[in-house]
Amino acid sequence: MATLLVEIVTPEAPLWSGEALALIARSSDGDFTILPEHTATVGDLVPGVLRVQTTEGELSFCVHGGYFQVGTDDKPEETRATVLAGIAEKVTDIDVARAQVAKEAAEAQLAASSRGESTDAVTERLAHDALARADLRLSAAG
Amino acid sequence: MAGGQERILRRRIKSVQATRKITKAMELIAASQISRSQARIFANRPYRHGMQRIIVEAALGDPAAAKKLLATPDVVTSAVVLVIAGDRGLSGAYNTSALRAGERLVQQLQREGASVRLYCVGKKAPSFYRFRGMDVQQSFMGFVDRPSFSDARLIASVVAAPFIDGEVQKVLLVSTRFHSAGSQGVETEQLLPLALPDPVLEDAPKPLKGYTEFEPEVEQLLTSLAPRALESEIFSALLEGAASFHISQQRAMAAATDNADELGQTLTRIMNRARQDSITTEIMEIVGGAEALRSGK
Repeated sequence: MATLLVEIVTPEAPLWSGEALALIARSSDGDFTILPEHTATVGDLVPGVLRVQTTEGELSFCVHGGYFQVGTDDKPEETRATVLAGIAEKVTDIDVARAQVAKEAAEAQLAASSRGESTDAVTERLAHDALARADLRLSAAG
Repeated sequence: MAGGQERILRRRIKSVQATRKITKAMELIAASQISRSQARIFANRPYRHGMQRIIVEAALGDPAAAKKLLATPDVVTSAVVLVIAGDRGLSGAYNTSALRAGERLVQQLQREGASVRLYCVGKKAPSFYRFRGMDVQQSFMGFVDRPSFSDARLIASVVAAPFIDGEVQKVLLVSTRFHSAGSQGVETEQLLPLALPDPVLEDAPKPLKGYTEFEPEVEQLLTSLAPRALESEIFSALLEGAASFHISQQRAMAAATDNADELGQTLTRIMNRARQDSITTEIMEIVGGAEALRSGK
């Protein structure tokens, strides 16, 4: 029987890997589902919640943008789906209080730069990213 | 007097032993950090390889787009050089060899007629380059021992900015790569435009057989992939730099401990001889005195 092997990898460490029934996520082309024997695919992931259905239930991961690759390595009956995300976490691991604090800090930073207090483009972009991450975490956990 | 020399020697031995304690402690600390930083490199590998694999896939999927986005420009009038060194010294040649290699690269680019913007990582870098009259645009420090991915993201966004704005045609990285616990070396690699992983390397990702679908189009995918791949490459360079730093420090401190042992031994021998000499002199004096008393009777 064909199986689907899902690996979720971040730069710091592999986050999760195991056998799954389906992988549901969203790329910039729209929502998609990967099932066993899916054709070889390479694509991106927009920030959002990625779901992995296993025989023991469904796992949700908060993925802050990334890429995925689907293919078979050596064994044709084994489909591999590798998810590469710069930042990702299990939805159950999200620290709501910390995300709230990060959201407020990012908003304060953006408010300061919109008032013209700091014009550093890099700081501003990092604050934008931080705000987007905090919002996604809060909506995923909440 | 002979007793005075003995006291001076005893003091020097004590100081050598105190130094040995410090170098031994640093050696042990560095050794414990080695395994930790090595584990982080291994934990990062799946991500890095996955990234490289996606780039290879995308480049094979649409060679025309890949040529446009990945090809090295023929004429380079301006380039960014990023040098990764350490925050702390007492680590053998780790800092200097990376910094020197960076200096040579900058000089070579300048000879070829390109202007260079220098960025560096590590506390040791700015003073090195300033002393040689080279301008450092920005330096990052404080995380070199235990780099996190957000550090890599920050560096990536800073060094990529002039490339994205079209001000430079190339971004180069000079860092110490970790091949194994026994071998590390300074290497230069091209960060932007993205370089395809060397197919000669044994662990280079192999492309999948057959047809691959892309979501979105390859050109769009590669464009958005470039900054992420840059972050990934910088992060792995930081991790490998950290591991190389700890190995280099452990080696330097082990050598220093051995030296202290040897010096302590030599000094102890000299001190023992000095003590023996003073005892001999004393005996001679006593014997001489007794002799004088007897002959005086």
